[in-house]
Amino acid sequence: MTPSKYFLGASIAIAMLVPVFLPAQTKSWTQPKTPWGDPDIQGVWPGTAMVGTPLERDKSLGTRAFLTEDEFAKRAERAKTQAAIDNEETVSDLTRCDPGRGGLGNTPTTCKNGISIGPPLYWDDRGKPSKQASLVMDPPDGRIPPLTPEAQKMAAERIAARRARPCAATAGGCHDTWEDESLWDRCITRGTVGSIVPNTYNQGNQILQTPGYVVLRNEMIHESRIIPVAAPNNAGRPHVPPAIRTWLGDSRGHWEGNTLVVETTNFLDKTVIGQTPASEDLKLVEKFARVSADTMNYSVTIEDPKTWTKPWTISFPLKSEPDYVLYEYACHEGNYYMYNALSGARAEEKKAARNGR
Amino acid sequence: MICQRGFAALGLFWALTAAGQTPAPKAPRTPNLNGIWEALGTANWDLQDHAAQAGPFWQTGAIGAEPAGLGVVVGGEIPYLPAAAAKKKENFANRAKNDPEAKCYLPGIPRATYLPYPFQIVQSPKDILMVYEFASANRLINMGKPIEAGADSWMGTSNGHWEGNTLVVDVTGLNGLSWFDRAGDFASDSLHVVERFTRVDADHITYEATIEDPKTFSKPWKISLPLYKRVEKNAQLLEFKCVPFSEELLYGQFKKQ
Repeated sequence: MTPSKYFLGASIAIAMLVPVFLPAQTKSWTQPKTPWGDPDIQGVWPGTAMVGTPLERDKSLGTRAFLTEDEFAKRAERAKTQAAIDNEETVSDLTRCDPGRGGLGNTPTTCKNGISIGPPLYWDDRGKPSKQASLVMDPPDGRIPPLTPEAQKMAAERIAARRARPCAATAGGCHDTWEDESLWDRCITRGTVGSIVPNTYNQGNQILQTPGYVVLRNEMIHESRIIPVAAPNNAGRPHVPPAIRTWLGDSRGHWEGNTLVVETTNFLDKTVIGQTPASEDLKLVEKFARVSADTMNYSVTIEDPKTWTKPWTISFPLKSEPDYVLYEYACHEGNYYMYNALSGARAEEKKAARNGR
Repeated sequence: MICQRGFAALGLFWALTAAGQTPAPKAPRTPNLNGIWEALGTANWDLQDHAAQAGPFWQTGAIGAEPAGLGVVVGGEIPYLPAAAAKKKENFANRAKNDPEAKCYLPGIPRATYLPYPFQIVQSPKDILMVYEFASANRLINMGKPIEAGADSWMGTSNGHWEGNTLVVDVTGLNGLSWFDRAGDFASDSLHVVERFTRVDADHITYEATIEDPKTFSKPWKISLPLYKRVEKNAQLLEFKCVPFSEELLYGQFKKQ
């Protein structure tokens, strides 16, 4: 199913990440090896627990990557309140809101305590409140670096072009064609970064290994990235030629000790990370470091000198959940959102024409 | 290949003889299906025998025409029940817009295996993953204790086990929305597929699928075809994310004119 538009807008501000910080290696734990001698990082590693940790850090926290006990207690309390409100949906006194204050999707749903009503609890995952202040861990302030002047100009032009369209003035916004919808709404992909960064629901990831390959399966949107992994002291396979550009890029891996390092290039110039389309020069460097039986630190460093003024890194722990089953996320096959958005917009136009507007 | 194996065996014999030892009894070895595989032939056009004919779009001329092909159905005919036979004809007549392949829908089983795109078998020490280039489809074959299908899905629920050198995969939980080919062959959500992958030499797998669906067929039937290894040194699965190629077909009627 495709998430509704307003929900997406709220949640898409999401992300990706990187480095190596969280739980220290457990002393009693030894990295297991595959029968052919590679570090064994296989298993089901959902990102569910980190859903709810913001991509970017609240500016007031500065360079503090982790919350204090007090701040953590507040985050947990807020999550609890939010869950309670969402559970009540829109029917109780608890959620009867001040219509003057706006809310998600510009509906009058902001409640007295300042928390907007979100989807009900059965609709998405909330994760566990984490002390990690943000998924962005580098730069040290946890904020995505500024866009380059060129990228800023392109972003401004995109916004201006959109605003200049007649549909921009309508209540529903622009739904002239499918190309007005996000890549996620179109069920094309959430991208290499967006497929693993915790967000919303169906956050399952699974790793399988076979000699010469590590395969990362993402539940959302049924992706399987087959990563050729170089043998020790071997340069490995070169990337495919530059003429071949793909949504998920071309990945090559190697082991640095027990850490799998994956470099991905050959992206189309349509990869959206956070809310910014990256250029063809995008390069990702991911690290998968299993630090205990049930924890793997994941990080992704995003480099694209045409788009961001410096590389930045998202990083968070993945938790092993052997009983988690990745379900088939057949998104495109049931994309009623697309029919509804486009046919609804055409119906609105007809109505407007009838009313002589 | 035979030559190489001969030399390898000779080398092993020499090594053992030199060491003055006899070979230890062999532990049963799990066959290795790892690799990138692809069906040739025309099963995706039509599982049954078919002559060449024009394709659904005159604009593409000979490019879109259907090549002739010998069928892969053992015994030749798919044993449709009468109502299903009529439905298949209707599917064929409307194939240009209703074939799930045209819509870039997940291909289902068995069609995923013989689409004209490669797929990669990833045989991990535990489970087996099949990754298909078409539409980023994939399916995990559970090699442990069999699991029951949850809700129906396009790619179904696969439980596998080895019978000698053959990987046998039992597929249930298929939603019945997939087709078997561009000829409109189809089944219902009662479909049950049992596949057999047998690596007959280094570069070939014999693929068989027994298809059972009492709502659609009068008896179970079987297809059998070879899969060929993609032996290019730089062979790798690329990306065929076809959603953008299907949007005009699916949503064009709702586009602002």
